Amino acid sequence: MERYSVQRAMIEFKNVHKWFGDLHVLKDINLEVAQAEVMVVCGPSGSGKSTLIRSINRLEPIQKGELVVDAMKVHDPKTNMTKLRAEIGFVFQQFNLYPHMTALQNVTLAPMKVRKIARKEADDMGRYSLEKVGLGDKLHQYPAQLSGGQQQRVAIARGLCMRPKIMLFDEPTSALDPEMINEVLEVMRNLAREGMTMIVVTHEMGFAREVSHRVAFMDFGELTEIAPPGEFFSHPKSERTKLFLSKILTH
Amino acid sequence: MLETFNFRVIFEYLPLFGSCFLATLWLSAAGLVGALVIGTLACSMRIGRHKLIAIVAAAYIESIRSTPLLVQLFFFYFGLPSLGIRLSEAATGILALALNSGAYLAEIIRAGIQSISHGQVEAAVASGLSYIQRMRHIILPQAIGVTLPPMLGQAIVLVKDSALLSLISLPELTRAGQIMTSERFMPAEGFLTSAVFYLLIYYMLKWMTAWSQKRLIYMQA
Amino acid sequence: MWGFYIEQLMHSLPFFLKGLWMTIAVSGISLVVGTLLGFLWGIIRSSQNRTLKALVGAWVDIIRGTPFLVQVFIIFFILPEFGIQLEAFPAAVIALTNLAACFICEIVVAGIQAVPWGQREAAISTGLNWYQQLRNVIMPQAMRVILPPLVGQYVLLIKDSSVVSAIGVVDVTRVGWLTVQRVPQGLLVFGLVALLYFIICYPLIQLSNSLEKRMSSGYTRGKV
Repeated sequence: MERYSVQRAMIEFKNVHKWFGDLHVLKDINLEVAQAEVMVVCGPSGSGKSTLIRSINRLEPIQKGELVVDAMKVHDPKTNMTKLRAEIGFVFQQFNLYPHMTALQNVTLAPMKVRKIARKEADDMGRYSLEKVGLGDKLHQYPAQLSGGQQQRVAIARGLCMRPKIMLFDEPTSALDPEMINEVLEVMRNLAREGMTMIVVTHEMGFAREVSHRVAFMDFGELTEIAPPGEFFSHPKSERTKLFLSKILTH
Repeated sequence: MLETFNFRVIFEYLPLFGSCFLATLWLSAAGLVGALVIGTLACSMRIGRHKLIAIVAAAYIESIRSTPLLVQLFFFYFGLPSLGIRLSEAATGILALALNSGAYLAEIIRAGIQSISHGQVEAAVASGLSYIQRMRHIILPQAIGVTLPPMLGQAIVLVKDSALLSLISLPELTRAGQIMTSERFMPAEGFLTSAVFYLLIYYMLKWMTAWSQKRLIYMQA
Repeated sequence: MWGFYIEQLMHSLPFFLKGLWMTIAVSGISLVVGTLLGFLWGIIRSSQNRTLKALVGAWVDIIRGTPFLVQVFIIFFILPEFGIQLEAFPAAVIALTNLAACFICEIVVAGIQAVPWGQREAAISTGLNWYQQLRNVIMPQAMRVILPPLVGQYVLLIKDSSVVSAIGVVDVTRVGWLTVQRVPQGLLVFGLVALLYFIICYPLIQLSNSLEKRMSSGYTRGKV
């Protein structure tokens, strides 16, 4: 697959720190993610991967360092986050679909309320996004009527419908039954192919190897290793990475 | 005794029961509206940021829940005049009902808001919705859905509670039975007729509760 | 002025404590017997016997659907027509016991329903009989769901016991009503009555809340 050359940094972490009380969860993070780059972040549970991507749209505020996303300063409390969040699609492990709304309503709520797009146009956009994730026939179903894989695809469509510049995925397949994982990964593969800037926290190493430009390993709040997938999987530098990979690749 | 059960007298008293039935309905309805207002207010005070206001709301809720409605009713009925406040029996009754159910509704609403998972709020934040938009489109619709069945349950309690207003001589359903007992000494006919009217309201509200719970199924993701 | 009334109230304090004792006696007897009956009704409602289920269900519905005051009047005034002469106290205890049984029945049913069906199947497939399933597998798990609302229900029933003052049982509410005829200070008199109820009910509400927290935290933390 063709790899895009680095154009400009879409997301930039500079000496970023975060604490939960006494717990130092992000330790001196330095990272640049380029436009149209797909980065996979992996690591043991509790290593801070979720916190890392949640800090990008300030679901978790950082306490020290600089974090610039699409030329906007996330670390600056004065920054208008509503505007930035509209540019970032976020997909949760637990889907977090709104249970009282149909798939289409879930997808069109933010375009109408945040982007102030008229209902008719929003509906068209919503239909397009849902078709894109293969759910053109489920527009009027409620989340409870959909399978886990379908729910997660609606959640992705919800992010896409805002025409975001960045998509963030926080373990998007961890809550899914194995037979549903592929339909979600397929949607993500297509997105990557179209040049979406993506950060994906996942343990799906097949996806990382095939789609990502770089893989980052996170351990105890530190980014200990960042490398292109070929190098990352064949010549992991640290012992911890080796140990983690051996555990995750054998099952 | 049943062979002497006197249906004729019941027919004779039916107009009284009719008007008393309406009285029970409107007293309960007024109490419920008051309780909704008080409950919403008390709940937002209790979960609000201001410590002192939260303590006041909590004290109100806890003291209502720890004492009988009948005592609260007498407290206002005998107590307000000693402060020089004269309310009609109906106003006193509605006040007691509203303050009593208001405390329970406050807790029901609070549970409803807290039952919404944090993920819902995060998803709404992540897509850029403002606080007001989140409340209006995500939190409140779900909270109302979740709280509707227990609110209807509280409405059932309130209708039954309104029977106590007969003890301050308000002409409602239970009072009708008392009147029949004292005028004709026919307590069986009197109170069983009251009971039938109460059951009518009960089954209607119970049916509405079942209906609202069925609607909830959609929302259990 | 208020000082005078407070002094008068202090004089009648023994009277209030006697009333409190009556409240405790009526509620205590009714709660114990009502709990036993309520569990019995609840187990019948969760059983396979259609006729018994329907009978108990209909009775519970009628009691839950009518005001307790009306039930008290019916028992107090109607049983004598069957030739059963009742004093106010036994009439009150019968009414409150019946009310307790019917509300506790619903709590027990919900508790039994909360135990997953697989538990029963496991018990059946290991050859336990109906009683053993209930005694050793179903009820121990159901109790975790039953206990918090049961204590909450006790609070409601203790408060409902105030209603029996209407047929002349001299409980603490009745004492308040009698006192307010002599001491025309409704706020003081019923403030004192309310305080006495509060002393009993508030700790029970806290107990119910903490039970709920303990029970919902799963089997790993803290045993039942």
